Amino acid sequence: MAERGIDKQEEKKSYGSVFLIGIALLVVLTGWSFWDDNITRRPWKAMQARFYHLDYGKAKAAYDEENKKLQADAAYQELSKKLAAAQASLSGGALGQKLASLEKQESAATVRFNDIDQEVKNIKSELEEAWYEHDHAVQQKRNVKPYLERIKELDKEKEKLDPELEKARQKRELIKEEIKTIRNSAKEIEIELGKLAAERDKWVRVMENVTLKLGPFSFYKIPKIEQVSLDEFDRNNFDQPVARVDRCQTCHLAINRPGFEKEANPFKTHPKREIFLGDNAHPPGKFGCTGCHEGQGVAVNSAKHAHGEVHLWEFPLLRGAKSQSSCTSCHLDVQKFETEAPLLAQGQRLFEQIGCTGCHLVKGYENLPKIAPSLRKISAKVDPSWMVRWIENPHKFRPRARMPNFDLKQDDAVAIAAFLWSLAKEEGDKWAQEHPLPAGFREGNAGQVAKGKKLVETIGCKGCHGLAEGEFSTPLGKEKDLVPNLKDIASKTSAQWTYHWIRNPRGYSPDTNMPSLRLTDDEAMAMTNYLMTLGAKPEAMAGIEEKLADAKNIKRGETLVRRWGCYGCHEIKGLEKESRIGAELTTFGSKPKEELFFGNRTDIKETWDDWTYNKLKTPRIYATERIEQLMPQFNLADDDIKALRVLLGGFRERKVGQRYQADQGLRVQQVVDGRRIMQQYNCVGCHEIEKRGGFIRKYYKENPNLAPPVLNGQGEKVQSNWFFNFLKAPIPIRPWLEARMPTFGLSDEHANQLVSYFNGLAKVDIPYAYVDDKKIPQEHLEAARVLVSKDYFNCFSCHQQGERKPEGPVEGWAPDLALARQRLNPKWIIKWLQDPQKVEPGTKMPSFYPGGPDNILGGKDDRQIEALRDYLMSIGRGAPAAVTAEVAKAKPARR
Amino acid sequence: MNKFGFLFLSAALVTLPVRGMAAYEGGDVKDGGSISGAVKFKGSAPAPKKLDVSKDKEVCAKTSKTDPSLIVNGGNLVNAVVTITDIKKGKKIELKKVTLDQNGCEYKPHVLAFPAGTTVEILNPDGILHNVHSYSKVNSPFNQAQPKFKKTLNVKIEKPEAIELKCDVHGWMQGWLVATESPYFAVTDSSGNFKLTDVPAGSYTVEVWHEKLGKSSQKVTVKAKEEAKVTFEVAGK
Ligand SMILES: [Cu+2]
Repeated sequence: MAERGIDKQEEKKSYGSVFLIGIALLVVLTGWSFWDDNITRRPWKAMQARFYHLDYGKAKAAYDEENKKLQADAAYQELSKKLAAAQASLSGGALGQKLASLEKQESAATVRFNDIDQEVKNIKSELEEAWYEHDHAVQQKRNVKPYLERIKELDKEKEKLDPELEKARQKRELIKEEIKTIRNSAKEIEIELGKLAAERDKWVRVMENVTLKLGPFSFYKIPKIEQVSLDEFDRNNFDQPVARVDRCQTCHLAINRPGFEKEANPFKTHPKREIFLGDNAHPPGKFGCTGCHEGQGVAVNSAKHAHGEVHLWEFPLLRGAKSQSSCTSCHLDVQKFETEAPLLAQGQRLFEQIGCTGCHLVKGYENLPKIAPSLRKISAKVDPSWMVRWIENPHKFRPRARMPNFDLKQDDAVAIAAFLWSLAKEEGDKWAQEHPLPAGFREGNAGQVAKGKKLVETIGCKGCHGLAEGEFSTPLGKEKDLVPNLKDIASKTSAQWTYHWIRNPRGYSPDTNMPSLRLTDDEAMAMTNYLMTLGAKPEAMAGIEEKLADAKNIKRGETLVRRWGCYGCHEIKGLEKESRIGAELTTFGSKPKEELFFGNRTDIKETWDDWTYNKLKTPRIYATERIEQLMPQFNLADDDIKALRVLLGGFRERKVGQRYQADQGLRVQQVVDGRRIMQQYNCVGCHEIEKRGGFIRKYYKENPNLAPPVLNGQGEKVQSNWFFNFLKAPIPIRPWLEARMPTFGLSDEHANQLVSYFNGLAKVDIPYAYVDDKKIPQEHLEAARVLVSKDYFNCFSCHQQGERKPEGPVEGWAPDLALARQRLNPKWIIKWLQDPQKVEPGTKMPSFYPGGPDNILGGKDDRQIEALRDYLMSIGRGAPAAVTAEVAKAKPARR
Repeated sequence: MNKFGFLFLSAALVTLPVRGMAAYEGGDVKDGGSISGAVKFKGSAPAPKKLDVSKDKEVCAKTSKTDPSLIVNGGNLVNAVVTITDIKKGKKIELKKVTLDQNGCEYKPHVLAFPAGTTVEILNPDGILHNVHSYSKVNSPFNQAQPKFKKTLNVKIEKPEAIELKCDVHGWMQGWLVATESPYFAVTDSSGNFKLTDVPAGSYTVEVWHEKLGKSSQKVTVKAKEEAKVTFEVAGK
């Protein structure tokens, strides 16, 4: 029996294997934890190592390339040889020997200088002593003469030594100088060489940047997180500013470095880097990446996490063009980014102009006018059968119409027409009675039709309207027209309405954007006659009159109009104040996908992007048996849907910190507001503004001189008070143009907004000019009179001056210079005369400068130009103001 | 693709762009031949259109003017420009000053050809204002006033291009500056004939250009010291 408490067998048992296993396990675990901590969970480290490798390799290759060039460069080679020779000579050659002997001479010279210096110092102290003795004698009233003699003696000695000391000093300096020159000879060559090799040696710095030197060894740098902290960029749920941390550049290491454009991500350079990441744009050190691109900026454990493409992260990465959505967070004016953010600019134009705001409220877009015509007197305008078919499906008649398709049954369309008809009947009938066709009108008269066709084609109608299949001026996206195409106009309306409409659009509809072209009765009759040849009268629907008068239809129609929200876009009597029927979209861009209703669709990927795309493509796609969807079909092109989606993505109501915001001052606001007015009246149909538009110019390719003027920089050119009056009541400035600047009947507010818009674009500080005739030097006027005369610039060979008209055909004329005083900005005149082609490329106005005549104002171009400006500003004195009686006649817009 | 095909293709890829970019190289030409002939106008010749001189009549209406943009003489086309388009080596380019005269409010000659890099001296002996407005696309366009006191104006045309000139003061004034790449160019004379001399022996593409009728070309082989005869036929539009 074994002893109590002691088990012999136990004692003999070996735990070696257990310990071994334990140790092995510990080692493995330690290894694993190290591996996990440094590699598995920190993939960015490997990424950075890869980048350093790439960066080093590229720099090395570039270095070798530059080095090869230098080796082939004769100048560099020669200089290198010179340097080597100089260095060799210094370290043992002729120069070295010379240096050694010079150094010896220098020490000898120094000894000599010090000796004399010491002597001089000795004399100086002896002098001090002598003066002391002298003063002492004076105080004791002794004889001072011997002392004075001693002083004199010492002074003489010093005087003798001083020049010697100076000589010794100079000799020493000379030798020193020589030594310096010899030593520097090599240094200077080195500097020259450095300059030649700068292109090569900068790559050395790049290589050094990614490496770590340890004695003779060199390693790649130790990876580290690259982090940008955007203080007060975001706001938390309590509306307090909080910082945003952004570590994207831990992997995107070359985002702001040129030379990586062709690498694959994450090592690629940002596209158009200088434009987007430049110091005046969004330097990544200040804005980070997520400011525009979203994603989960702090995450570095995987690309998926960092890009925010994980469950419950609300702001996944915005790749490529999608990042344009973010511009609106900080920029008020995004239309100016036509080249930088084209989708956003396009999306915003579409959103504002196709009628989205008729149904949807969005902050910043609340006050846009209703885009569609008023229906107050619709019964006087359209054919009833046409109207029913139009309501049923507008795209059947005009595929490029802005009005969407509500996909109505004919019964419903009849009911809606009946309701609208009943509202309009009284006012419409009255208008029709008061506006009969003039007695002289002969429908189908060939002469009138021909005359009308010519007028319609030349007077400016085509600046807005197309007249044939596929013809349009201002595009609205890819497949929509901003203004109706008139190719089938006769099947829609009557000669009577057309005549009065084109003569005075606001007489029928006081708020219309359609301007008056100041037509005479004859012109309006001819044009009406031509327009009535476009398209055929539609087949009347059976019993249409009775159906429209049917009380049941009218009642049902009202319900339908309310249901479909027709008043969002049209003015309908009695329903002017109804509110929008669609959902508010102010924060639509930040809606998480969980809040989006996908109906029973399982074939659509559950992302915000996919939901939105499909909604715009097929608006009722998410409808189910129980839940109906009202949004009508716009039939937008894919590109337009994507553009709209970019804009919608930016509806986030983000409160980005002040310091990150772009200028949102009054000027910018004025440009944004004015541009909307400009777009509302479609000024870009005829005029190029902000380098966009002038769409009518395509009809003037043969003779661009006959096209309406380009208005880039208009704010700088004209005086604001003149411009305001001109917009209110245009007068012909270029009598050779057949196209007429229409009278829009702008309200004071709208005209003012337009003036501010152009001034804002041109950054005009003082929009007024005052000419003080007394301050104009007589000398200038006299000189300018000679300059404009026939023997010199002969200005009035082309320019009109009041009643004085130029010779020759009117298309060769140029604007009336008598208008300059009121119309033109004096500063602009200077710029214009200096180089007209620079201000307006392609202008007929030739350059007279440089090269003014030598015999006027001392032949100085600048002074001649100033004299011409003074003269131009003085000749229009007493010219009638631009405002004519027409202002009083034109009814202002109510909006 | 077999190995040789691949080699051939890559060789073509390497050489093609280089050949396309090669510029003209001038030198001595020994035993050169020449190309001469006429440009025939196919179709019925239009009647010369009288120009309406509506301005500065005392100077401009001294002579009556006809539209110079299409002149046919004895069935031959005047003012067409003949060039060798694919010549890479030949006689030296001599950059001489050439003159364009506006005497009587007309560009004389109506078509002025010269090698690119030439300075054109534009004269205004009329004593009234003209302006020289170029509608160039390759060269930078200019629009220079030439008042009475500026009797001459110099413009250098750097790159090959046919440039239309207009005077905005006198709507009828219109002409052409044709800058060529090589020194082998000729403007057909008043009877529609042309001659190119000192052409090294070889086969070339000869092109005729007319402002109204456009371009057409044909292959011409030149033998040493011999004259190659060519006739172009250009159809009226
Ligand atoms: Cu002229």
